[in-house]
Amino acid sequence: MEAMQSGLKLAAPPSRLRRMWKNISIIFDSRVGTIGMIMVLFWIVTALVSLFWTPYPPNATDFIQNTPPNIQNLLGTDQLGRDILSRLMQGTQVILLKTRLPWGKAILPGGVAIWGVLGSVTLGAVLGLNAGYRGGWTDQIIMQFLDALIAFPVIVLYLVVIAALGQGDLVVIVAITITGAPGVARLVRSLTLDIKTRDYIRAAETRAETIWYIMFKEILPNARGPLLVDSMLRVGYAIFAIGTLGFLGIGLPPPDPDWGNMVNEARRSIFANPLAVVWPSLAIASLVIGLNLFADGLREELSRYQK
Amino acid sequence: MARFIARSILSTITTMLLVSMALFLLLEVGSGDITVKILGVFSTPEQRASYRAQLGLNAPAWQRYVDWLIGNDWRAAKRVGYPLVTATNPQTDEKDWWADVDGQLTRWKLEDGHLQALERQADGSTTSHLVSGKWQTNAAGQEFFWGLDNKNNAVKWVRGEGSEVWVLTKAGLRKAGDGPQEYIPLRKGLLRGDPGKSLQYGRPVAVTLFPRVRNTAILAGVAFLFIMPLALFFGIIAGINDGKPLDRFISITSLGATATPEFVSGIFLILIFGIWLKALPAVSIFLSDDAIFKDPKLIALPILTLTAVELGYIIRMTRASMVEVMDSAYIRTAILKGMPYWRVVLRHAVRNALMAPITVIMLHVNWLIGGVVVVEVIFGFPGLGKYIYDAAIFGDFNAVEAAAMLTVTIAIATRLVGDLAYTFLNPRIRYS
Amino acid sequence: MVDNKASPVLQVKDLAVAYKIRGGEIEAVQDASFVIKRGEAYGIVGESGCGKSTVAWAVLNFLGANGYVKRGQIKFLGQELTQKSKSELRLLRGDQIAMVYQDPMQALNPSMRLGDQMKEVLTIHRGISDAEAEKRCAKMLERVYMPDPVNVMKRYPHQISGGQQQRVVIGMALLNNPALLIMDEPTTALDVTVEAAVLDLIAELRHEYDTAIMYITHNLGVVARVATRVGVMYAGEMVEQGTVEEIFKNPRHPYTQGLMRCVPKLGANKSESILYPIPGRVPPPGNRPAGCMFAPRCDYADNRCQEEHPALRALDNVNVRCHLAEEIDWRQWTPTEDVIAPPAVIAQAAADQPILEAKSLKTYYPVKGSSLKDVLGLGEKRFVKAVEDATFQIKRGKTLGVVGESGCGKSTLVKTIIGLEDSTGGDVKFLGFDITGNLSTRDEQVIKELQMVFQNPDSTMNPTYTVGQQIARPIRRFKTVPNDQVRAEVVNLLETMRLGANYFDRLPRQLSGGEKQRVGIARALASRPDLILCDEPVSALDVSVQAAVLNLLLEIQQKYDTTLVFIAHDLSVVRFFSDEIAVMYLGQIMEIGPAEAIYAPPYHPYTEALLSAVPVPDPTAKQKHIRLQGNVPSAINPPAGCRFHTRCPRRNLLPNGGKICQTEIPPWREPDDEHKIFCHLPTDTLTTFEPVISKEGNG
Ligand SMILES: Nc1ncnc2c1ncn2[C@@H]1O[C@H](COP(=O)(O)OP(=O)(O)O)[C@@H](O)[C@H]1O
Ligand code: SF4
Ligand code: SF4
Ligand SMILES: [Mg+2]
Repeated sequence: MEAMQSGLKLAAPPSRLRRMWKNISIIFDSRVGTIGMIMVLFWIVTALVSLFWTPYPPNATDFIQNTPPNIQNLLGTDQLGRDILSRLMQGTQVILLKTRLPWGKAILPGGVAIWGVLGSVTLGAVLGLNAGYRGGWTDQIIMQFLDALIAFPVIVLYLVVIAALGQGDLVVIVAITITGAPGVARLVRSLTLDIKTRDYIRAAETRAETIWYIMFKEILPNARGPLLVDSMLRVGYAIFAIGTLGFLGIGLPPPDPDWGNMVNEARRSIFANPLAVVWPSLAIASLVIGLNLFADGLREELSRYQK
Repeated sequence: MARFIARSILSTITTMLLVSMALFLLLEVGSGDITVKILGVFSTPEQRASYRAQLGLNAPAWQRYVDWLIGNDWRAAKRVGYPLVTATNPQTDEKDWWADVDGQLTRWKLEDGHLQALERQADGSTTSHLVSGKWQTNAAGQEFFWGLDNKNNAVKWVRGEGSEVWVLTKAGLRKAGDGPQEYIPLRKGLLRGDPGKSLQYGRPVAVTLFPRVRNTAILAGVAFLFIMPLALFFGIIAGINDGKPLDRFISITSLGATATPEFVSGIFLILIFGIWLKALPAVSIFLSDDAIFKDPKLIALPILTLTAVELGYIIRMTRASMVEVMDSAYIRTAILKGMPYWRVVLRHAVRNALMAPITVIMLHVNWLIGGVVVVEVIFGFPGLGKYIYDAAIFGDFNAVEAAAMLTVTIAIATRLVGDLAYTFLNPRIRYS
Repeated sequence: MVDNKASPVLQVKDLAVAYKIRGGEIEAVQDASFVIKRGEAYGIVGESGCGKSTVAWAVLNFLGANGYVKRGQIKFLGQELTQKSKSELRLLRGDQIAMVYQDPMQALNPSMRLGDQMKEVLTIHRGISDAEAEKRCAKMLERVYMPDPVNVMKRYPHQISGGQQQRVVIGMALLNNPALLIMDEPTTALDVTVEAAVLDLIAELRHEYDTAIMYITHNLGVVARVATRVGVMYAGEMVEQGTVEEIFKNPRHPYTQGLMRCVPKLGANKSESILYPIPGRVPPPGNRPAGCMFAPRCDYADNRCQEEHPALRALDNVNVRCHLAEEIDWRQWTPTEDVIAPPAVIAQAAADQPILEAKSLKTYYPVKGSSLKDVLGLGEKRFVKAVEDATFQIKRGKTLGVVGESGCGKSTLVKTIIGLEDSTGGDVKFLGFDITGNLSTRDEQVIKELQMVFQNPDSTMNPTYTVGQQIARPIRRFKTVPNDQVRAEVVNLLETMRLGANYFDRLPRQLSGGEKQRVGIARALASRPDLILCDEPVSALDVSVQAAVLNLLLEIQQKYDTTLVFIAHDLSVVRFFSDEIAVMYLGQIMEIGPAEAIYAPPYHPYTEALLSAVPVPDPTAKQKHIRLQGNVPSAINPPAGCRFHTRCPRRNLLPNGGKICQTEIPPWREPDDEHKIFCHLPTDTLTTFEPVISKEGNG
């Protein structure tokens, strides 16, 4: 039977794109994951739309202050008479789409949350791979270093970093990177400890492959599932943290509206206009919950897939 | 087991050292000019330079780190030539530094080029008289004297070159003559319980920190007492009902609670209880650091907020662990042995299921402290979190360092407790 | 032996079990019927995925959240089990019906004392007082030959060995003297010597308690030893049933016949006998043929077989599910053309040089102590002496087999040769190069001549890359062929492994275990090595697949004149496959020599014990009964003198009860030119040992 198959004309190998789509589409098997993905997509689309269009300029104080939702201002206005919907929409950009660099008006594509998580995943993966695969002293030193970082309560670390470096998009990215890296490194390390016992790693070693080849080509690709799930959760944490910093008044600097800061400002007139607090709160919660659901669904499906 | 404990302690010490270095480096070396913040942006470079010297900021970073960690009185004592001791100032109730000159507590003062000794009397007051013969000569032929000034610095006066210094008083900066040339602001060091003076308030950090820590301990402690039993209970209930509606309900509610930042849930709670139901004070006004003892209602909303966020997280952890354990072969064995369902859950599953989350929960204390900062800021609660926040905003690095070290210590201590609890629960480690 | 008047304990009739999955359900068991009587051991055999375990779970009505009994009846002592409520079932479980399954470590609660786990069976079901329960448990532990029972009850599972854990589990199952004991592969995770002791125990307890036993295994040798009657399962159906003697003497169903033909008999070798794998694989539940389930793999299949589903019917003394059962005579069977032609024995030039020579090779692993001193690095350095003084050589084109129980140092030996571990002492030469150091000290030239095949099919391939990429990697790395010919070379290798070129773009998860193992071999071959080290390459495979892989290995050995080191714990397989064999115990080679010399007297007392433990797939064979006492000692502090002296059953043949064995390292006895035995017993005494197995009946 096998000999017969080899005689047949070979089917064209599935293209990369199709394979990728196949990998992604497993998420639709999970109801929770699908809901999460829709919530996340909603905000991504909002961010993209806001690049070209918002109902009003987000910083224009053109309206009566603290009006409840109406036809003109769908979500009402804030304490300075700005349109809340426009501000909410614009607020997605710094989180998801753009980073304002301190040099002139330079802008880096990719939001603060995204870059922060990319930073912690990169740093964490390199540390975790080295700790897990090399073991011994390397492991001891790296883990000791990470333990010290983990010992900092996250918010306190943010406060310290900001007290030292001042406010700014890049500072927030650095803070997210530093606080996230230990977690990623621990995850990657434990995955590496597991993967390195596999026989295919022995096979690579008996070919005397370099340590970098083994870490990055043989081990890392097999850790990508859990790493993807983890990154998704981390984007959630990052948004959570950015909101918190904004609320504390030390997050992303103006002029772009910041959801956390919107909550902070609106709570001063909470008696007059409670809804102005509710909208940005809902925005943060829904995006974070969406990412969590997405990650949960993905994890469930990946583990089913691997069985 | 011995190995495990020895390792934990060793690594805790290393961790603390690393943390303290990182903190110090970041804050004192990495941050900008603190004198701008204290003296204001309109101060002149000359004023700032003078003030920097008074703060001892001209010393090399490593020296300052060592001073900060273990104090510098021993170093200063060598210069001064007398043992340095502290005595309580009856007016401020704070400790002042004195040189112990043959049993007489003494400080000095340079006035019009003449050195005066200030001697402390038994009732706390001082008498002063001129002294002579104290000056030493260095290689360059200058006459100098190392002594203690009345601002708790060990200082070096140089005769005839009494420099002009800017002194910060309640009324602002004042220029003064006869100033010293070198300062060592005396401190006992963090390890000896003295984190230095708050740059913002000018008072010792240790004094202002204590009531704050106590308040936070009450807040977090009460929240923890609520959270743990509830979270474990709901986590286990959800875990044994894996996939059923009850589990779905608990899981989704707890996800919603964790994914909502503290400031959001705090404000929602204020909206609900304070504004709509009018059941609890919406804005907690803490008139003093002791207010929570006088009106416990003030603390209700902060506790509720903390509970809302943490509860969800721990429920999720416990649930996941419980699901895994209920799926394991030994639970299958217990069921196939014909054990009643609740016996399987309580005797066979729970203990194993709590092992994994306990370390994670203890690690999560970090997160709880973060939550405390936010909650305290929302409610204006006079606790450790608010303290760090205010200090960080001001750039009061002595205060930030002290408070941050404290939080780190708490975090590491709880982690140690978690590890120990784990070894205790897990016979595999206990008997190896 | 079977008492026909005995009452039936379990009657399973037309059982079908289904699992609900996404988008439908699968029928894991379609049609199983059998009866087990009191005092009878009913063996169920078949390849993995045939539904054996599902039958066991169905009897207990423990099918998980998504499984259910779809059709049929399960009667236990006359009561219908499928209708029972949860609480009724609970009262039966652990009391009337008990179960033992594969991995005892997993089956015991890691955080509960063994005594507590045992006692609750009595206190809950029988309402016995705690003190009384304690006494009974201790007695039961004694009954299952557990040393120091009272003490063991205070311990936790991880503090006793795997064999002991399984004794505890079995003892726990028997506490209430159940009418039915279900055992699902209870010895598969154990070593042969431990397995043999546990099997003895089961047989003994069955006689004593008159329990009905349902014994599930994939190992024909084990069934032959424990079962009185056998049911063969294939693809969710019972295909043949009968007494164990009848089934082994005269298998009627082509599948049963196939199973018998693909396991080597103990003592068979590659020059005299041939393994015939069953082609293809067990169809997955969702994709079963319409007619006879076995038709796609059956040599006799005709049109009727394709269309009409055969029923289980009585024929002579057995039940068989085959249209052509009457006509088929398994002695007349000849292999069809597409079965891999087994290679003729390699006629070897006698003067061949050894390709690998090891002298006094040692490998030690440093162990971490647990005292405070050790943590600070002040403690005395201690070692696991995983390989001690190994001396051997391998000639080009030959196979050296290595056998021994787990932990005896087989893998370490291989890892040292290939350079994954540093050797601690001794001298190893490969093609004249010194290879005592690890890979980083070796020349590229040497590295490429040494390759390895691994045990676990699920971990031998990197799940990320396609088959083609993985085979191509060593080719590119060692530049075996120019870059533009890599693909052709890979396809060539795939074809050598009887996998078509269309496997090039497949991912590992799309392959079966046997296919993965073949890709693993292709990858090892890709650098065209002189020596391939195989660490248990077939141990994780089903017997039919195992035969195919063994045949392939023989074929490539002949084609490329490759030298092999072959580790396995199955002594029949090693005997079949190897030219020379080394027997290891606790890091030490105990006996080494030509394969045929090892399996016949004179042999080392340890070899003798191993051979008498092997389950032989022939219920009529007479096997000597030698069982080792106690556990394997720790390799950190191996016994002085002869390492085997703590367990040696032959020591008392020496004067003074073998005192010398405790103090002095034994000499090498050389009964033959190439045959060496590491023992104080003189060759003359060793020669007087009788053969372990005296053959009877069919061969
Ligand atoms: N990496 C290692 N570190 C410490 N001890 C090891 C290591 N690998 C194997 N061992 C020990 O060496 C001995 C031999 O093991 P191994 O070579 O794996 O035997 P086998 O292949 O026969 O199962 C055992 O006692 C085992 O526990
Ligand atoms: S029924 Fe036909 S296909 Fe099935 S086993 Fe018998 S001969 Fe083979
Ligand atoms: S040397 Fe002694 S203990 Fe060792 S195998 Fe021979 S008889 Fe047994
Ligand atoms: Mg092994």
